[in-house]
Amino acid sequence: MGDRIRRLSRLVPTAAIARLGSRLRDAAGGAASAARVAIPDPLAARIVRAGDAFGRRFPAVSLALRNLSRQRLRAGLAALGIVIGVFAVVALGMLGTALQTAATEELGGLGNQVIVSPAAESGEETLDSRDLAAVERAAAGRGTVIPLKSTGGTVSGGGGRTVAQVYGTTNPRPLFGDAPGVPDYHRQGALVGADVAGALDLRVGSQITIESNTYRVVAVLPPQSSITPLRADSAVVLPPDEFATDGFSQVVVQADSGGDADAVARDVRERLNVRERRVSVFSLTSVLDQITEFFALLNGFLLAVAGVSLVVAGVSIFNVMLMTVSERRGEIGVLRAVGIHRDQVLRTLLVEATLLGVVGGVVGVLIGTAGVVLVALNTDLPLDAVLVPTNALVALGAFAFGATVALVGGLYPAYRAAWEPPVESLRG
Amino acid sequence: MTGDPSADVADRAGDESDGAADVPDGAADVPDRASDEAASAVGGIVDPARTGEGAAASDARVSAADLAGTDDTGTGPTKAGTPIRLVDVTKRYEGGGGTVTALSNVDFAVGAGEVVAVVGPSGSGKSTMLNLLGLLDDPTAGRVELHGTPVAGRSERERTDVRRETIGFVFQDFHLIPTLSAVENVRLPTAFLSGDHTDRAVDLLERVGLGDRLDHTPDELSGGQKQRVAIARSLINEPDVLLADEPTGNLDRDTGVSVLEEIREIAAGGVGVVAVTHDDLVTDYADRTVELVDGVLDDG
Repeated sequence: MGDRIRRLSRLVPTAAIARLGSRLRDAAGGAASAARVAIPDPLAARIVRAGDAFGRRFPAVSLALRNLSRQRLRAGLAALGIVIGVFAVVALGMLGTALQTAATEELGGLGNQVIVSPAAESGEETLDSRDLAAVERAAAGRGTVIPLKSTGGTVSGGGGRTVAQVYGTTNPRPLFGDAPGVPDYHRQGALVGADVAGALDLRVGSQITIESNTYRVVAVLPPQSSITPLRADSAVVLPPDEFATDGFSQVVVQADSGGDADAVARDVRERLNVRERRVSVFSLTSVLDQITEFFALLNGFLLAVAGVSLVVAGVSIFNVMLMTVSERRGEIGVLRAVGIHRDQVLRTLLVEATLLGVVGGVVGVLIGTAGVVLVALNTDLPLDAVLVPTNALVALGAFAFGATVALVGGLYPAYRAAWEPPVESLRG
Repeated sequence: MTGDPSADVADRAGDESDGAADVPDGAADVPDRASDEAASAVGGIVDPARTGEGAAASDARVSAADLAGTDDTGTGPTKAGTPIRLVDVTKRYEGGGGTVTALSNVDFAVGAGEVVAVVGPSGSGKSTMLNLLGLLDDPTAGRVELHGTPVAGRSERERTDVRRETIGFVFQDFHLIPTLSAVENVRLPTAFLSGDHTDRAVDLLERVGLGDRLDHTPDELSGGQKQRVAIARSLINEPDVLLADEPTGNLDRDTGVSVLEEIREIAAGGVGVVAVTHDDLVTDYADRTVELVDGVLDDG
């Protein structure tokens, strides 16, 4: 039995499976002689048979694996080049994506806001209800319209005074964020921003006074994490009825998307600014687009730098494969002489080169991903920004690039070797 | 001649120890074993195209080849007649120093079951002749015929297939793949074919006396054992012709003798053998020795 398994295991074409079979064989042999309890023969034999079947099914892969195992150090170094290249692409690509994601999150809904305010040349200081109706029509189905009254004011309370931006709106949540006590419809009391609450030591139930009117604090607004043109942290939000004026100092449209924001801004201009410039329409969509564009450029640049290192790795594969085929000229000549076709020789050599790329690619992706995750864990970069679907594409793309570079690197040497007349090869 | 030539080999394996004493018997066996057509080819018709008798013999061989596949003679379909022949072949190389004529108007045929030794000084064109016989190279003029059919005009793919199906190669330095075991080396020509040829490879190795070395890689084998593995490899596809380039060149005398005996056994099974050599030992085991001098064949 031992002999039979030994023989079979030597036939296994893939080194790994052969080793496994050999280990099982040793275990089986050792156990049988010592305790007469063998690992079931069929198991080892089945593994060996599976390996053998694999070798027959994919002779090119089997031969390529054997050939790579000949010069392990050289194959390892060639694969290391791919590892480094893929690592660079993955690390820089993933970091770029993560930075972009984090920055976009930081900018928040800024890009989706359209702020309509009276144009300076119109002479008006507020927007009237006709203007509001026009904005509402422009924004219909594209987002939420929030008319705002605003003024600067001094707020006193809790024994102190501070300057605050006083806003009047019935719908504070989309612009100022949610917190316990922020009402759906704001009709009484005051909402205070985080900075104001901190300066005056205010909490829900505190009293504040603005221009001799006293209000009860119904909610403290959450600190603003994203950038917004409204100064929410130093704001006091009152019901709009508390303002003496009828008109609105600005109308904010919180659009559903950047595209909607663009459309709303355009529509508002068309409706209100045709004859004279009544309103000023401010949208950050284009600014955000520019920021996104910048990041895309930065990412592209980083990836190009990383890509260069991968191309260098490809050159090293090219070199290694050239050396390999020139050393094995005689063997390749024999293969051709005994009836192996040119394309079969070519395939075997290409599989050999590609395997270097595949192994290097997998290792590079794993190390690169681990590196970026480590960076995220040890810096302010949020892990969420790393673990986005785009980064899976980056990893996949880097792997594919690595494998392709190796394949291309092996192309010419393989072609040269396979197409050389066997008479010439046999002479070498 | 038996339907399975390798059966003879099996029967006679293990007789190695008798050494050279067997040789005359083995040589004498050949004509008996070969078919009549083959015998007439072996019997000294080296250039049949130039005589009426030769032409008739040639026709007979073609018809034998035509019958291939019907197998009603009980001989293997490809084991009769003249498997391969060079007809008025000239091979010239363009070199830096002008044109070199490696072979000049060579006519040569090997019969089934015949062992032919090709001798000659270095540079006389022996390797060129072997390359032409092995369909590894094309003649500048003349033609190479395989079972009476000219080879010229076949695509590289077809020639590769023909090589695999018809011709076995044995090289001076064995050319085994170092990472493959003996069995894997022997079945290498079938690597890209469907089906498992392991059993036949094992069988062949057992017949050349290496049944206990199946799993050994080339570096674990002696020179003689390597050459036997190479011989087994050349037989995996049941070739009609075995081409041996200095088969004993890297072996000591005793090992050379046992390898040559192996080759005789193979020939006894109906395979035509052409051995290019410097070694007088090889000529001792040959049915016929031809000499190449400056690309011109001397039939001796």
